[in-house]
Amino acid sequence: MFVNRFIKTYLIIASFAMSQSIFNGYGLGLSRTSFHSSVNGAGSIGLVPSFHPGVSMDNTATWPGLNFTYISGSFSNQANGTKNTSVVNQAARFNKLQFVIPIRERYGLGLSVKPLNNHNSFFTTDTMAFNFDGKDIFSRKEFRSGGGIMEASLGLALPLNSRMGLGISINHLFGSSRDEQSAIINNTYYRMFNLRTYTGSTFDFDFAGQLYNNNNLSISTFARVGLTNKPVSGKLYKFNFYEDSNNSYSFDTDDYPGDLVVDTTSISNIYSPNSFSFGLNVGFKNDLNIFSEFQMWNDEATNTNYASIFNDQIGSKFHFGGGMIRFGNLNARAWQDQITFRLGAYQDKYSLRYSGNSLIENGISVGFGFKFATTGNQIDFSFRNGTRSITEGQKELFKEITIGVSLGDMWFLRRRAKQ
Amino acid sequence: MDNNFKKLFIYSFMGIISFSACDEAAIPLDSNNTPLSIDTVSFPIINTVSYQVPPDIGLHEFLYFGKKEEFNFLYNLVRFSNIDSTNIYTFDFYNDSLIIADSMKLIMSFDLDSIEQNVDFQLRYFPGGGDSVFNELTTNYTNFNQLSASSIISSSIMSIDSIDSVTTQVRLNFLMDTTIINVFKDTSFTSFNSSFLVELKTENSSEFKLFSSNNLSNPPKLRVYYRKLLSDSVVLDTSFHTYYSSQDVSIIDKPNITTDDSTYLSVGLAKGIRSVLMVDMNGWELPKRSIISSADLVYNRVKNDTLIGYSVSSYPLRNQADFSNFNIYDNDPYDVESNYLSSAPIINNQLKINYRKISTEFGRGGKVNYGFKIQSSPNSDPFKTIQFHNLNSNISYPLLRVIYVRQ
Repeated sequence: MFVNRFIKTYLIIASFAMSQSIFNGYGLGLSRTSFHSSVNGAGSIGLVPSFHPGVSMDNTATWPGLNFTYISGSFSNQANGTKNTSVVNQAARFNKLQFVIPIRERYGLGLSVKPLNNHNSFFTTDTMAFNFDGKDIFSRKEFRSGGGIMEASLGLALPLNSRMGLGISINHLFGSSRDEQSAIINNTYYRMFNLRTYTGSTFDFDFAGQLYNNNNLSISTFARVGLTNKPVSGKLYKFNFYEDSNNSYSFDTDDYPGDLVVDTTSISNIYSPNSFSFGLNVGFKNDLNIFSEFQMWNDEATNTNYASIFNDQIGSKFHFGGGMIRFGNLNARAWQDQITFRLGAYQDKYSLRYSGNSLIENGISVGFGFKFATTGNQIDFSFRNGTRSITEGQKELFKEITIGVSLGDMWFLRRRAKQ
Repeated sequence: MDNNFKKLFIYSFMGIISFSACDEAAIPLDSNNTPLSIDTVSFPIINTVSYQVPPDIGLHEFLYFGKKEEFNFLYNLVRFSNIDSTNIYTFDFYNDSLIIADSMKLIMSFDLDSIEQNVDFQLRYFPGGGDSVFNELTTNYTNFNQLSASSIISSSIMSIDSIDSVTTQVRLNFLMDTTIINVFKDTSFTSFNSSFLVELKTENSSEFKLFSSNNLSNPPKLRVYYRKLLSDSVVLDTSFHTYYSSQDVSIIDKPNITTDDSTYLSVGLAKGIRSVLMVDMNGWELPKRSIISSADLVYNRVKNDTLIGYSVSSYPLRNQADFSNFNIYDNDPYDVESNYLSSAPIINNQLKINYRKISTEFGRGGKVNYGFKIQSSPNSDPFKTIQFHNLNSNISYPLLRVIYVRQ
């Protein structure tokens, strides 16, 4: 019982602890393009196979290629450093929890939970000093935000024919975020909170098709169309300022004023993502694959009434990347041959909605996976290194280590007939 | 899935989490183009005037007889609670046929260790006063008729009484007989006034200072001595119940006003000096969701002598004030918003009162700005009159300075 409670508590805390980027202060923050650690290692967006030959854990259409039912979790630790300052942040979080069942090598069914965006940030300004009619005033500001939108998905893979498959995912978006804005005057904090709740839904249509295959070469294409069913809406709770007289970080009886007024409003259509992604994978003999992917992502939300620390939002994104993957062989005698090796590079170009400024993320990634046990258990490691920079703005360096554990079991698999 | 499968999953993740770490440091930002701003605004004082009301020392810790500085004390009024210190026995208790109330004693304690000058004091009461004869907050020389009191019912000189084996106290002890007790226990009144008038027998220019009901250690006490009959032949020893003073006030003769009192912004309890002032906040709006950090009105004292433990209270006015002249009123004509009391001590001859609560209301249109009243706080020295610079001062006139945070 104790162990269970400990695990639950730790997982909840860890899942909310996200590494803070300076760019998380724009609107809802940065949105991830990859979630599973095997996808991360290849610098992929999850279209092309990266987990297992023919299978990407982030592409529903490829799930029938799994040999076993998997329960899988990916966990990352990202460090961000702002160039020209000595500030380095690091934090850990879950990228994805997933349960996938392949059914008779033709179908697939899966459930997953993952954080869609990263709203975690903590900023401070320099202290300013001025004299107001003989009174010395020292002031600065602090901004914190956290939370964000989670996505719970139900995915179903269907065969189109012997070489093509289709995947449909129904995604429920939910969650909440909060931001705190503080002005500090002569060491007294004046805090203001905003809380937002989110709900909405999206669909993803995934496609996987093998165009060409012989003993030496196979060419496959993959695609995804992401559509919003119900744009994200929710409630916005705007709390008035209060003087945190005892610096307790929360409103209590010692604080001024005596009561805290909250203004509750409904917010609608604040996040409405639509995307198109395409990937090409060329497989050579000995399980060596090279791939290339691109993605066009657009937030078509119409409600601009979303106050964030920076008065701008991420409106669109373009991803381009490529890399190579050599899959390990579970049946190989030498353990080195059981290792999957991944290498990739990518560029994400975000466009800000109001200023028109571009935020460019360049990254390279490397990863490997190791299969163990007869049911295809796999542990994946990945490392990403890159930069984010914005037009006429700050430059940020980031490093991310991701660990994924996928445990296989036999569910709904075609059994051999008894002789 | 079997148990081994679950265990492997759980322990794998425990291992991963154990190696995770968090390090959260604030990222420095340029203050420009970030939300929130700290704004300041100064509001000028456009009208000030002082005025006089009757002395206001009902909440003071002491009662006075004789003369103190420029103040003459006419007499003191003391009212006792109708229920005793155990919260059980009212005066009706002595109407019981088995209770014999023998005598009553009024005890008042001096703020003295020894007697330097002994004088006679005398006591009157109010048998025809009904259920109330005075109020310590409003009774003064203009509205109380001393002739409504009875003839002298007791007198006392100052005596040194032993409180315990080591402590003595200078006291007045007024003894009263059953005639007075009979009036107190009369059931014609549901709540008899239980009040006394205490005065010097002859006029005296010295100051005599006694503890009032606002001193919780030595308030005036009324003791009723009684015996209880257990049977026709058995009587318990004499015992007593103690009733504490609930209200008391020293009545001061009309104080004199000096030129300084009427020229400057003045406050003083014994003189009944108060001031009103008008701050021009017309047209100012506090932005929505903003908070006022401070709204300090700084008053600079005219004199530079040392002043310790003097506080001033201030309230927003509920009606228009007359700023034309120094006026004398029998009753204070200015009602106040008592929920918006601000008070502060005078430190280094400067009084800084924070009006942020009411300024927030003014800025949001919740209240109309009619100005502010300032008066000495009840716990300040009532006999000290403090003058502050007003609009006539070139550099030290008061100014309301507001610092607020806006979104």
